[in-house]
Amino acid sequence: MKYTIDELVNRDASLISRRCWTDPAVYKLEKRGIFGRAWLFLGHESQIRRPGDFVQAYMCETPIILSRGENGQLYANINSCSHRGLPVCRADHGNTKRFICPYHNWSYTVEGALATIPQESALRNKPDKRLLGLKPVPRIASWRGLVFGSFDPDIMPLEDYLGDMRFYLDAFLDRFPQGIEFMGAPHRWVLDANWKLPVENQLGDVNHGAFLHSAIIPREAQDLIEELGYSVVTTPGHGATFRLMPEDAPVDDVAWGMEGMGGMFGGAEVQDYLREVQARAAERVGPLRARMKGLTYGIYPNLSFLWSNASFKVSHPRGPGRVEYWSWAVVPADAPAAVKRLLRTNYSSFFGPGGMLEQEDSEVWVQQFRGSNIDFADDRPYFYGLGLGEEGPHPELPGQVSVTANEFYARHFFTRWRDELQAVERAS
Amino acid sequence: MTAAAVRTSPEQQRDLEAFYYMEARLLDNRLYRQWLALLSPDIQYLLPARVNAQVDNRERGTEQMISVERELEGGDSMGCPIREESYIHLMVRVERAFKINSWSENPPARTRRIVGNVELMSSGSEEYSVVSNFHLYYSRPGSASFLYSGQRRDVLLPAGEGYQLRRREVIMDYADIALPTLGLLF
Ligand code: FES
Ligand SMILES: [Fe+2]
Repeated sequence: MKYTIDELVNRDASLISRRCWTDPAVYKLEKRGIFGRAWLFLGHESQIRRPGDFVQAYMCETPIILSRGENGQLYANINSCSHRGLPVCRADHGNTKRFICPYHNWSYTVEGALATIPQESALRNKPDKRLLGLKPVPRIASWRGLVFGSFDPDIMPLEDYLGDMRFYLDAFLDRFPQGIEFMGAPHRWVLDANWKLPVENQLGDVNHGAFLHSAIIPREAQDLIEELGYSVVTTPGHGATFRLMPEDAPVDDVAWGMEGMGGMFGGAEVQDYLREVQARAAERVGPLRARMKGLTYGIYPNLSFLWSNASFKVSHPRGPGRVEYWSWAVVPADAPAAVKRLLRTNYSSFFGPGGMLEQEDSEVWVQQFRGSNIDFADDRPYFYGLGLGEEGPHPELPGQVSVTANEFYARHFFTRWRDELQAVERAS
Repeated sequence: MTAAAVRTSPEQQRDLEAFYYMEARLLDNRLYRQWLALLSPDIQYLLPARVNAQVDNRERGTEQMISVERELEGGDSMGCPIREESYIHLMVRVERAFKINSWSENPPARTRRIVGNVELMSSGSEEYSVVSNFHLYYSRPGSASFLYSGQRRDVLLPAGEGYQLRRREVIMDYADIALPTLGLLF
């Protein structure tokens, strides 16, 4: 690398170099400085309810098996055979007693221990199988059913890491008596884009709605979003945007789920269900958060939650110019099956690989990488200065708070990003 | 899905194929509103998600073990299909194409659809179940070009000289979705 991280992000992060998005050396630092140290999202407990259940996950480019052991505990192991490295789990999800490696059929328990080596009966010296299990992810923790793992054994507890984002996440997760459920396997979408742009987009970029999506989102709808909208940053890299609906707003305007295709066209059963959830919201999450109608959420480094379209998303890097973007529809766990099926279209109509809005987002993510990966323009870093210094504290909302047009969420993200890359840059 | 197609007369086979050729031509020529007119107002348009399914030991040796159906998260599943749409969805998609601020479609992509293997699978008094295969070549300005491949499982209604589309299920042949969007009109 011909420059230092210091030269890529200026002091207040209002100028961001193109090389942050494209340089393979920067990407290497991201792996060590961010993905090697953060809490990374692995999955939701609703996907692995019974002993033996498993799902695949990734921590950056490293494949992970997240499973429920015979003892009911959660396990996360690197999906790579101790013999020659093949992935031992090949299904997206399922239930099993053993993972069997295709090459020489070493088999592993669902907890990751090496169970059998077929070849050893023919040999005098028996390998010590206790040393040859799958490599466990050093730390694993679950909060409200959201499971995270970390490669850093000394990382702070997950609850501290999430910090005040818990206040905003609970406004959604705690609304439903039995929490939420992820529906099925994630949609996995590979795009020629850098992993950080989908993250930035879902962290707080409400402002592009009226422009990029103007063929679908009418200006009046966007005006209403901006009028009632707040953007908060709880800890650099974590953020949320939402509307705070007026106290006298009709229930159909406030209730989560009503504004999606499933809510709008799903009929009485789904609408009655959503009204009932909203009727109990104040008692469950308090009067302030009952009025919250969320938009985008981001958990550093690469987890997003789209409240308005009921989806969790993870942006898995595959190099500086490639991303594997995962998304799931999420629904209230206690909803009737028919209601869940209707509510999942709140996600799929507009988001995911077939979604009408995200087909526009994905196009700009790809084009942004093309625009970044050019020569002779390194003296023109990107302008991230919109609303510089305009955020501040709020009497009721934790974190730094501002209007949605303020790009402070992105500046905070890049400040943390810069500091974490510098920490490993100095160490190398 | 049953192995045998229904016997068709040469005329009926020609009519079915002509319908699909016309549909492909309308879409490739971006005559999306004319395409919309081919749909029944109660149309269901489905694109199941496709997963890497775990082999079920109890099904070993059977056709079921490796069946395509096992890989699909469709409308009846508790997974999440990639698309499950009604006429309203398709109308919004069509209208979007004619707006100058549909940035990702502007300039529009160039497409070429080849439809074949048209088979009538069953016919009731009112409806025809028809499967067909397609290859769709897709190139968007300033981007790579892509080949989409898949099967369509349709329910057609007789309408005037031709047919109306009442239900379409699109089975895509991707392993990983390395395509710019699955939001096209397949
Ligand atoms: S590589 Fe896994 S058993 Fe040999
Ligand atoms: Fe967007």
